[in-house]
Amino acid sequence: MRHITKAFSGNSVLEDVNLVAFAGEVHALVGENGAGKSTLMKILSGAYRPDGGEIIIDGVQTRFSRPADALAKGIAMIYQELSLAKHLSVAENIFLGREPLAFAPLRIINQREMNNRASQVLSGYGFNIDPRTRIANLGAADRQLVEITRATLEANRVLVMDEPTSSLTSREVEELFRLIRNLKQNGIAIIYISHRLEELESIADHLTIIRDGRVVYTGHWGEIPRSAMIRHMAGRELKEIFPIRHSYPGETRLRVEGLSREGKFSDVTFEARAGEVVGIAGLAGAGRTELVEAIFGVSAASTGQVFVNDKPVDSLKPDVAVGKGLGFLTEDRKQAGLCLNLSLSQNLTLANVRALVRHWKLDRKLELGAARESIERLRIRPANPDKTIARMSGGNQQKVLLGRWLFAGSKIFLLDEPTRGVDVAARAEIYRAINELVESGAAVVMVSSDLPELLGMSDRILVMRRGRLVAELNAKTTTQEEVLTYAAVAEAEQSEVQIATEIS
Amino acid sequence: MSDIIKRFIPFASLVALCILIAALEPRFLSGGNLAGVARQTAVITIIAMGMTMVMVSGGIDLSVGSILALSGVVGAFAMVSGAPIIAGVVAAIATGAACGFLNGAAVAMLRIPPFIVTLGAMGIYRGIVLLLTDGKAVVGVPTNFGRLAEGSLLGILPVPLLIVLLVALGTHFLLVKTQPGRYCYAIGSNIEATRYAGVRVSRYQVLFYTVLGALSGLAGSIESARLVTGQPTAGEGYELRVIAAVVIGGGSLSGGQGTVIGTIIGSLIMGVLANGANLLGISSFAQQVVIGAVIVIAVTFDEFQRRRIEAASA
Repeated sequence: MRHITKAFSGNSVLEDVNLVAFAGEVHALVGENGAGKSTLMKILSGAYRPDGGEIIIDGVQTRFSRPADALAKGIAMIYQELSLAKHLSVAENIFLGREPLAFAPLRIINQREMNNRASQVLSGYGFNIDPRTRIANLGAADRQLVEITRATLEANRVLVMDEPTSSLTSREVEELFRLIRNLKQNGIAIIYISHRLEELESIADHLTIIRDGRVVYTGHWGEIPRSAMIRHMAGRELKEIFPIRHSYPGETRLRVEGLSREGKFSDVTFEARAGEVVGIAGLAGAGRTELVEAIFGVSAASTGQVFVNDKPVDSLKPDVAVGKGLGFLTEDRKQAGLCLNLSLSQNLTLANVRALVRHWKLDRKLELGAARESIERLRIRPANPDKTIARMSGGNQQKVLLGRWLFAGSKIFLLDEPTRGVDVAARAEIYRAINELVESGAAVVMVSSDLPELLGMSDRILVMRRGRLVAELNAKTTTQEEVLTYAAVAEAEQSEVQIATEIS
Repeated sequence: MSDIIKRFIPFASLVALCILIAALEPRFLSGGNLAGVARQTAVITIIAMGMTMVMVSGGIDLSVGSILALSGVVGAFAMVSGAPIIAGVVAAIATGAACGFLNGAAVAMLRIPPFIVTLGAMGIYRGIVLLLTDGKAVVGVPTNFGRLAEGSLLGILPVPLLIVLLVALGTHFLLVKTQPGRYCYAIGSNIEATRYAGVRVSRYQVLFYTVLGALSGLAGSIESARLVTGQPTAGEGYELRVIAAVVIGGGSLSGGQGTVIGTIIGSLIMGVLANGANLLGISSFAQQVVIGAVIVIAVTFDEFQRRRIEAASA
């Protein structure tokens, strides 16, 4: 791609961007949210047309006016926001648009052939997914694997992966990397977009860093140290991504006793005290999300009891939970967090609109005041209370959602993958905000698949495996290897655990 | 910036339409004709205020025409059996509110798509009113009752227009200035996120459908006053005109968007089109073609606008 330029309604998003990807190599494309990575890749995949510049494939200048043109040239993309048809099966999604036909003139689909081929491909990749399952019944991680599988069948020149590991566990990431190495051997050029510099270490050959729509660095992987990469991305030095916290656990805020839900988790008992972060580790499907959902009353637990400030909470529903001082930052921001049509301030105050009511009506001044306070405290950008939340970056959206619970006066925070899809600089600010919360006496329960994050932020780490708590570890003394061993030992072979822990 | 343009365009279309019709037929601007437009659009506009609320919250109600007929007939029965006019109107509003409450409860509790629930309700309420009246009009309402539709305040302000203004002010205040209004936009934007924020979503859904039902009942009273009878077949097809008014005014079928002012303009655009076509001697059959085309154009425009915004935020 040469001299690519693109602007939206007069705002320049890409300026004179060059990117060269070689067959059989992984080209890492990094940059903060909003830097222009996704726009660049949408141009490559034909979803957007560039205002200037050219795309050259195998020496031939090419022009794409729609995604089908790019696909025809063997360029496939795995989108960060998943693009699967929920009501269709895994096999139907993988072969969408290229269904094997039993009787071509009538376009009758050969269902059996399709399922068999899907099953072969999936097991060949080491993914344990039944091709007949409907997408709606799969978890986020499995959906991502299906998406990856589909794209690999389409790509024979270039495969673009936009944050492919955002909902995968370490073990699945390792399988993905093995697959990437296979694709490299088949001569496919891979463009890999990620925020997680750690994981790039083991697969990247080239590196391009984009900031504010311009290429600020390009070269072979490893030519510059990671601190320099972060400096290029952020334009400033990030001294400590996990800031030191000065807090001591106080009284018990949340206690969970013998909580069970059929097929999801069983007999979970733990407590979270004021002034501490309890991390919950585990592989996808271990029941971590379901556990926090049950604590918040989204889905009822079949047995067990939740205590808040030592008082039992009955008939737990989200409104009851919020009333008791719980706040829940969900794994999927768009599905169960943001009201995309509403503004920053309206999203921020949603859990405590009552506080804005004066004389039977909403007080605009109170709302703006609340928004400005949070904007300053959490460094939300752009600092405009009336900005439509859909037009903000993922990191800033996440800060607004954290701010929602701050404004609601929550004392117990359930954070499910709080930095998923969030860029490095915004992550550091979210960590800092969490630390402030904890220092002011909040209790935090944090589910995360990002082990450095769990180790860096938690006081204690609880490890879940197949719905059960199998270990409680001191975050100061434990290691990633130890956490992974407890999380995976029953299912993964020891050697795979070792491979996974080499990334750090 | 684009928001301002978006709000301005339906209004500009309305003004342009009025200028065009006035140029072709000066009688359009006569006080009598404009008052006539106001009277003719009042029933649709009143229901459309409630529909705006329900559609902003992500719902829809196809049964408003049937509710209008049922409440109009119940109000007429009350007055025929000797109740004062005000009691007849209250009975109609209460009947509408009860129907709306049932719709809202079914949508919220059974978690069935509102389109299906209210499609069923449309048939049920219409059937009930036909059964109650044996398909015949209810006659013998007090003659003064007609003033609700045909009367004027101080000789110039048509009563239905006055009612529209009061309802519009109330709805606007509710949507923009109150807690239920804020939740209305939030629920329509993302019902799960709103539930997770601790809002008792079903309670508010029931509220919005109940208000819509009550307004349909009020419109039923005005409609019976206009016809000076309780008509069991009144309001057939009104649901689509009401939904069209909301949509032309910028409301979204997928929720989260819509304003009172937009809906009023949407309703007026349809009213002025129909009136202008009558004045110019265009057949009512051709009018349907025009109104249908206007709906498609308005929604297409909205959709393009939305895509541009989304592209810019990507």
